[in-house]
Parts: sequence; structure tokens; C-alpha cells
Amino acid sequence: MLQVENTLFTIVMISYFVAMIAYFIYVASKKDIVSKVAFGIQVFGFVLHTVAIVCRGIGAGRLPLTNQYEFATSFAWGLCLLSLVFIIRFRFYVMGAFISPVVFLMIGYAAMQSREVRELMPALRSNWLGFHVSTAIIAYGAFGVSFVVGIIFLLRDRLKAHGFLDQHIPDKEKLDLIEYRSVAPGILFLTFTIITGAIWAERAWGSYWSWDPKETWSLVTWIIYATYLHLRIRRGYKGKSAAVFAVIGFICVLFTYVGVNTLLPGVHSYK
Amino acid sequence: MSAGKRFLRFISSMRFAIILLVILAIMCSIGSLVTQNQSYSWYAARYSERTAALIIALHLDDAFHSWYFILITAFLCINLLFCNIIRLPGLVKRTRNGGTLRERLGIWGAWITHVGVLLLILGFGLGQFTHKEYVAYGVPGQTMAIGDTGLILTINDFRIDLRDDDTVEQYTSEITVYDIASGSSGKSASVSVNHPADIYGLRFYQNSTGWAARVTVDKGGEALQDTIVCAGDYLVVTDKPDLVIYFNAFYPDYVLVSGYGPATASGKLNNPGYLYSVYYQGQILGMNVLFSGEVLTIDDYSVHFSEPQSYTLIQIKKDSFTALAFTGGIIILIGLIVSLYVRPRKVTDKQTGGEDASS
Repeated sequence: MLQVENTLFTIVMISYFVAMIAYFIYVASKKDIVSKVAFGIQVFGFVLHTVAIVCRGIGAGRLPLTNQYEFATSFAWGLCLLSLVFIIRFRFYVMGAFISPVVFLMIGYAAMQSREVRELMPALRSNWLGFHVSTAIIAYGAFGVSFVVGIIFLLRDRLKAHGFLDQHIPDKEKLDLIEYRSVAPGILFLTFTIITGAIWAERAWGSYWSWDPKETWSLVTWIIYATYLHLRIRRGYKGKSAAVFAVIGFICVLFTYVGVNTLLPGVHSYK
Repeated sequence: MSAGKRFLRFISSMRFAIILLVILAIMCSIGSLVTQNQSYSWYAARYSERTAALIIALHLDDAFHSWYFILITAFLCINLLFCNIIRLPGLVKRTRNGGTLRERLGIWGAWITHVGVLLLILGFGLGQFTHKEYVAYGVPGQTMAIGDTGLILTINDFRIDLRDDDTVEQYTSEITVYDIASGSSGKSASVSVNHPADIYGLRFYQNSTGWAARVTVDKGGEALQDTIVCAGDYLVVTDKPDLVIYFNAFYPDYVLVSGYGPATASGKLNNPGYLYSVYYQGQILGMNVLFSGEVLTIDDYSVHFSEPQSYTLIQIKKDSFTALAFTGGIIILIGLIVSLYVRPRKVTDKQTGGEDASS
């Protein structure tokens, strides 16, 4: 089963890469039909990705959410899922050209990690692990979408010269709304992640909050998005300022995931 | 408007909340980048003396308990409290004015979230100041007092469940806790990682494990001491308190690695090696490794290490405010769901006149 997962993973990586190129061709060629092709390839990759993760779970005999590789591939999966949802919901195919490189980079990061299946240390053998990590995947995916929409928002004026993009990218008000719609599930699921993590930590380590770097950075991320939500209901701060916070927020997400794991030792650095 | 009202308006304002949130985020980031609770010499060795002095002066060595971190958090609580108090009459009025259930419920989202954050901070803060924490460690058969609780803990058994590949699946301690005052027969429980036990209002966690050994001290051929000592503990020679044996570490499969020092080749008891130090009047006399059957001789005293075994370390905690903090967390979740998904279509920030067409 793990061999199947390995093969599928390679096909998924190729699919995401081809989808990214197809989205670029769509923007360059300005032909709407290409966007459907790119979207179709992305959906194909996503379906195979889902099967690959299921195979990994069956092969490992547990939830495949416990090491750097498993979380990275799940992160890419969550990002792909949320991007598909938002592309369909808002018929915003141009977003694919912006988010597919992020998905590809994340799956590329997963490919660089060890795929070895190791038995779990006692602290990781908890039902809370599933809730904690799966909610993080959805939260991070949603924040990834808000990051991309935030970038598009900040570039919106410069893209006016590009007639095709100007026509196919929603106006700033709509972009702000899409960004908010992606931050909303993000912060909700991040709150779930933090609370389930705290419950798990209390049972495993005897302390629900220890200012571990991962905990601290997830709090920083939460604060950034809480600030985002507050900014949006203040006149003059909605729009650009909120978009800046959406971008900063996802940078914090990436640091919480990659930076903290590699730079700041703590109980989350399972070596 | 009077200065008092202006002040009240500012400390309950969203502008103040945003400022506080940004400051807190920056403080948390800095605190996470500096390794916490180390000494000046540790920081000096890692960075430089100048940086170490700066870290200590700015309380960055314990950033999350520094006065300014607590102060900013307290300001955030005041901000949330006043914000909620000031908004309450308006929300009640708007709820009474009618509308659909969604409209009446939706306007409470932010208010509920703020209550949750307040309860969470309150529960965490009170827990920090009032919680009691103890540690008990030993091998099966040993009994020890739990701090000043009046309770006694006996370790009945300690198991390390291994998988076929010798990785650890679970650590489990079987314990019995006795209440000295009541003279009860004791309450027994099984404690393993992720499965703490609640006994007499305390929570018992399987924290960690290590190696222990039986250490016997003879004087002139007669047995003087026979006790279990955990690695990392001292043994004071009873009739010569100036003489102390320190059990530094245990290596079940001892090997000497060139350029590194003592190490263990595996977790199996193939070549047990006991690293010890001898102190006399606080001065170290020497450090060496004893193997099974070998005897350390110091004047009339003979010291012998044997019967290596795993000890269990149980963490014992009482935090009466954990439930309050978790309740706060659940309320935050409810508030966010209401705020983000039940919220009416247009929300106006009354202070600024800003308008939100968010949901």
C-alpha cells in the first residue's frame, strides 16, 4: 500500500505542476477553455492526492498526520481543497494561477521529507491528534487562499494594464469579501486546532499551555487574524490594511509550520 | 466630553484593542525566539555578554511572565471587559427590537467571543498563580510523600511496553495513593502517557522514565547502606555526611565513543556501566565508570552498583482553573461561529461609522 502511495504521490506532484503551467498558459493565452483544462488537471491531482493519503493511512495503520512529510502533503491537500472550493464558489479561475505555485511548493516541500513510516511515540498515540492536525490542515488551507487573495488585492491596481486579468479578477470589494470568506473558516479551525492541542497537551504533558514555540506561534497567528477581523470593521482599514494582515498571517502560518519545526526546538520537534 | 469619559472610551475602543493585539503578537514572537528560563552565563555563552545582559535586563529570559507582558495582557482584559459592558445595553436593545432569530443571535457573536477570551485569560492567569505541582519518582515497591499534601504515593508496578522493533509503545505506572489523615486503604490507579488519573483532587501524569540502580555501601566489610538511587541523584554516606556519591548516568550497553565519551550501543543490558562522581566536603574527588561486579573503594568504604532497573517519574498537579480556561476556549468557538456565520449582513462600527458587508 505504501508503494502505491509513493507512485500516486509522484503522479500528484506532476499533476499539480502541469495544472500550474496550464493556469499560466490560461493567463498568457487569454483563452477561457484553458482555465477549464487547468482546473480539471487540478481536480484530477486532488482526487489522486486524496487516494494517496488514504493509502498512506492504510499502509501505516494509523492517521497519516504525524511527521513532517505527512503533514506537508496534507497541508498541500488542504490548500488544494480550499482553493478548489473558492475557485468554484466565486468562479475565480485566475486565482488558480496564483495559488497553484503555492500548492506545488508545498507538495515539493513534502517530497523533500523522509517518507519512512515510523511507529508513534507514546505521546502521539492520542485520539486528539486526529482532531488537532486535521483542523490545522483546513485552517492552513483557508489561510493559504486568503494569502493569495490578499496578494491579488495588493496587486489589483497594477494588473489593470493587463486587460484580460482586469476583466477576470473581481473588483477590490469582491476580493476583500473573498479574502474574508477564507479567513473566517481559517480562524475558526485554527481556534479548534489550538483548543484540541491544549486538551491533548494537558493529557500528554500535564500542561495545556507551556509557551512552546509552536504554541506561541499559533497564538501569534491567531492574534494576527483576530486583528484582521477587527481591522475589517473599521473605516479606512478595510481593504488594503486587511489584505496586508492576510499576507502577514500566512507568513506566520508558514513560520509556525516550517520555521518553528526547524529553528526553534520544543515539544513539537519530534526528532 | 470629560477627560474621564474620553479615557474610558479609549480603553474600551477597538483602536486600543488592535494596538494591544499587535504589541502582544510582537512580544510573543520575540519571547519564542529567545530560549526561556536560562541563566546569564548560558545566554553569554550562546550569544555575547552584551546580548545576555540585554536579555536579562529586558526580562526576555522569562518573557511570558515579565511585568510588561502581564501588564499588556491585563490591559487587553480591561479593554475587552469595558468594551463588552458598554456594548451590552445596545445589544440587549437590538435583540428586544425583534427581527429574525438569526439577526437577534448574530449580533452577539463578537460579545460572546470576548467573554470567552476573558474567561480563558482569567483561567490561565489564576491557574498560573495558584496551581500546585509535585514530582514523584522511583521504582516499584517504593513509597514517597507527595509534597505538603498529606498524601503518600506507592509505585506498585512500572511497565515499558515495547513493539517488535524495540520502540516504546507505552509507559504505564500502577500506583496507590494514601491519605494519611483519613487513614484510608488508599486509591489505586493506572497512569500512562495520554491517560492521567485523578485521585484525591490531584491529577497524576506519566511524565518520563530513567535508570536507577541498587547502591550498597559497606564499611570495613559490614553493610552500611543499601538503597535504590536514580541516575541524577546523590547518595550521602550516612556515617560520613561529607562523603557523597553522585550517580551521574547509566549506560545499559556501555561503549566509549572516541571524541564523544561514554554512550550506550543499545537499550539492552549487555554491558551495564554506571558513571559516578565522588565528592568530599563539596569538592569532587573523581569521576569514573563502574561495571557489574566492580567495587569502588574509598578509605574504609566499599561502594557497589547493581540491579539496574527503570524508574518512573510521575508528575502530580492541581490546577483548579483549567476547567475555566477550557470553558473560555469553548465559548470562543461558539462566539466565532455566531460571529462569522450567524452574523447579520451589515455590521456598523459605531465609533467610526465604518460599515462591513462581510457575511
